[in-house]
Amino acid sequence: MTDTDRSTDAAEPPADPSGEPSADPSAGSSADPSGDRPTVLVPVRVLEGEPLPGGVAELLANAHVVLLGYHVIPEQTATDQAREQFGDGAMTKLEEFAAALEATGATVDTRLVFTHEKQATIDRVIYEEDCLAVLVPNATDGPESVLVAIRGTVGLDRTARLVAGLFAGTDVGVTLYHILGEDESGADAETLLDGATAALVDRGMDPDAVETLVERPEKALDAIARHGESHDAVVMGETDPSVTTFVFGMPSEQVAERFLGPVLVVQRERPAAAEDGDGSEGGDGSEGSDGSERTDEAADDRRP
Amino acid sequence: MGTDHGDSEPAAEPPVEHDTDQGEGELERTIGLVGGLAIGIGTMIGAGIFVFPGLAAANAGPAAALSFAIGAVVALLVALPASELATAMPRSGGGYFFISRGLGTGPGAIVGLGLWLGLVFAAAFYLVGLGSYAGQVFAEVGLALPVNPAVPLGVAFGIGLTVLSLFGTENTASLQNGIVVVLLAILTLFLTYGSLDALGVFGTESTPERFFPPGGLLPVLQTAALVFTSYLGFAQVATVAGDIKRPGRNLPLAMVGSVVLVGVFYVVTIFVATSAFGSARLGEFGETAMVEVAREFVGLPGAIAIVFAGLLATFSSANASILSASRAVYAISRDEVIPGAASRLNLRYGTPHVALGLAGGPIVVLTATGQVELLAEVASFLHLVMYGLICVALIQLRRESPEWYTPSFHCPAGFAVAGVGALASFALIAFMQPASIVVGAAIMLVAYAWYRYYATDVDLKGDF
Repeated sequence: MTDTDRSTDAAEPPADPSGEPSADPSAGSSADPSGDRPTVLVPVRVLEGEPLPGGVAELLANAHVVLLGYHVIPEQTATDQAREQFGDGAMTKLEEFAAALEATGATVDTRLVFTHEKQATIDRVIYEEDCLAVLVPNATDGPESVLVAIRGTVGLDRTARLVAGLFAGTDVGVTLYHILGEDESGADAETLLDGATAALVDRGMDPDAVETLVERPEKALDAIARHGESHDAVVMGETDPSVTTFVFGMPSEQVAERFLGPVLVVQRERPAAAEDGDGSEGGDGSEGSDGSERTDEAADDRRP
Repeated sequence: MGTDHGDSEPAAEPPVEHDTDQGEGELERTIGLVGGLAIGIGTMIGAGIFVFPGLAAANAGPAAALSFAIGAVVALLVALPASELATAMPRSGGGYFFISRGLGTGPGAIVGLGLWLGLVFAAAFYLVGLGSYAGQVFAEVGLALPVNPAVPLGVAFGIGLTVLSLFGTENTASLQNGIVVVLLAILTLFLTYGSLDALGVFGTESTPERFFPPGGLLPVLQTAALVFTSYLGFAQVATVAGDIKRPGRNLPLAMVGSVVLVGVFYVVTIFVATSAFGSARLGEFGETAMVEVAREFVGLPGAIAIVFAGLLATFSSANASILSASRAVYAISRDEVIPGAASRLNLRYGTPHVALGLAGGPIVVLTATGQVELLAEVASFLHLVMYGLICVALIQLRRESPEWYTPSFHCPAGFAVAGVGALASFALIAFMQPASIVVGAAIMLVAYAWYRYYATDVDLKGDF
């Protein structure tokens, strides 16, 4: 951010074929715009005067970052009214952030959205840009060690792609952490984490940089947050929205609030664009993580 | 469309170009069909059921049901052309936007300023209704007040709602949805019970009085003009067209659907009310006649349920009208029909504080007059002018067929519907009280004078 010279470069999309912020959902997804770089969504409340949290640029140096600047406006205000007044300023700010991220080596696409509903916007952009993970942006020291919560084999491949993509060939150490289920034995966990380690090594991680940790704590989220404190960042999966989600917020946000560092939330596989052509909206409906959004989506499903 | 989860529907709409990024950011559309219906129903239902039955029955007897049905037909005749225009121009501003782009700046300015003031009058009318129901709470708990508290309470609510909307209320939409669901549940129960009772299922069938009032059809039409305020909400859906997801599908469904639904509720309400009491008696009960109707059928619990529902309904109508009035100010200020400063947003709260003030201030003043029928009719007058011109704009745009005019919803029998809709809208005005016509016409003259003074160099026709 301090590197203001680069902010003008950021106005030009980075050397990246799909750099143009595009409304076409297929543009970001069909061909990986950045080779092996994992695509990470970084949402920032662009007009609230917050700087890009420290350490985030370093953490994402090897990523393809989709920098989503959003501004939430109350429902009594028309979105185009806000854009007219704040659009220029917000874009300038976003370009500063983009320059800071590019300075550490990340490739960056920027999107700026004026919205009434933060979650609807984030969900849409995750889908359109085919993001592997979303960052809950909190400050951290330069990343040295990262805690990776492994829940099971589902989604393991995506987690491995993210972790290896970000940290293979760097000095960052990774601790794979698994919480034992009710009737799960230590041997099961070992098999799981061995598999995960192998997947990371396959993708270029140094085997010495990968540690494992297995536990049976009382409260999973507390345990992740507690262990997170001795690391610089946490990687965890997106948990299906459930009853607790509505009451306490997303698990990843709860972890981020307690751990106070950056959390990378690995996203579930989105239904492929081709299948979606049949109007299978169900996948989208379940993404809405707040009540009103779901109501609307559910209603949309009931079309004649 | 690029900004919507439903972007790959079989009947997919092309992205709304306006929403996509042109160097200053994209716009998220967040209101679905349910939200759109809730805006329409929530704005409308407060008046027709909770304020008008007593007044309408006093004027037209049981035939007031026919008055409400006439209103519904006029509203539908306008809702269909408005839907076509809204899908061609899914932008904030609603009727003003269609008319300024279709017919030019002059008619646009009259309608835009008229829409702002029409909503101001409508909000003041709802606030007097809200005050009546709040006053009824005191009556129910047995507190005798020395003065009728309706007007002071309405003024207090008006100030409160304006302040509330100034400081950001992020969950108004979900609140609105909840209110509408609760209201529809209470009303469905009550009206079902009342209809069955009136038809003699529970005991004796009530003897209906003569359907038509002594004056014949004339009082029915006059009442239709009075109660048309109950249908002003459907076009509010178009004022938030910029926020509606998949506008090509959701806008027409929300507009037409909300008119049909509230129309049915209104007609049944009048049927139930006039079978409980004679029309003259209903008229004496005034704005809160429905409370007495419910008391007659179900006793105290019924009365309390209707007081509660009436508070919710008039509150949501008043709130929706204040917000719509502020959006109308934004729309005309964006086009430089009035100074641009009127649409400035407060960065901290994200709210258009000047526009909300321009809405809330006059609303409070008008509420203080307490002239329910005048407020309602002037509101209807100004809206009916807009509705008529919406129909004219549809005819004009279909004939000119400019390149940008590509609606995804086509009004069936467009020319005929729009032609009849325009005639019916203007004709309804003729049945209003002379005082309302004078006030409404004066506002239009002032609006036109303002246009000549300030905005003659603004060219909006086809500016899209």
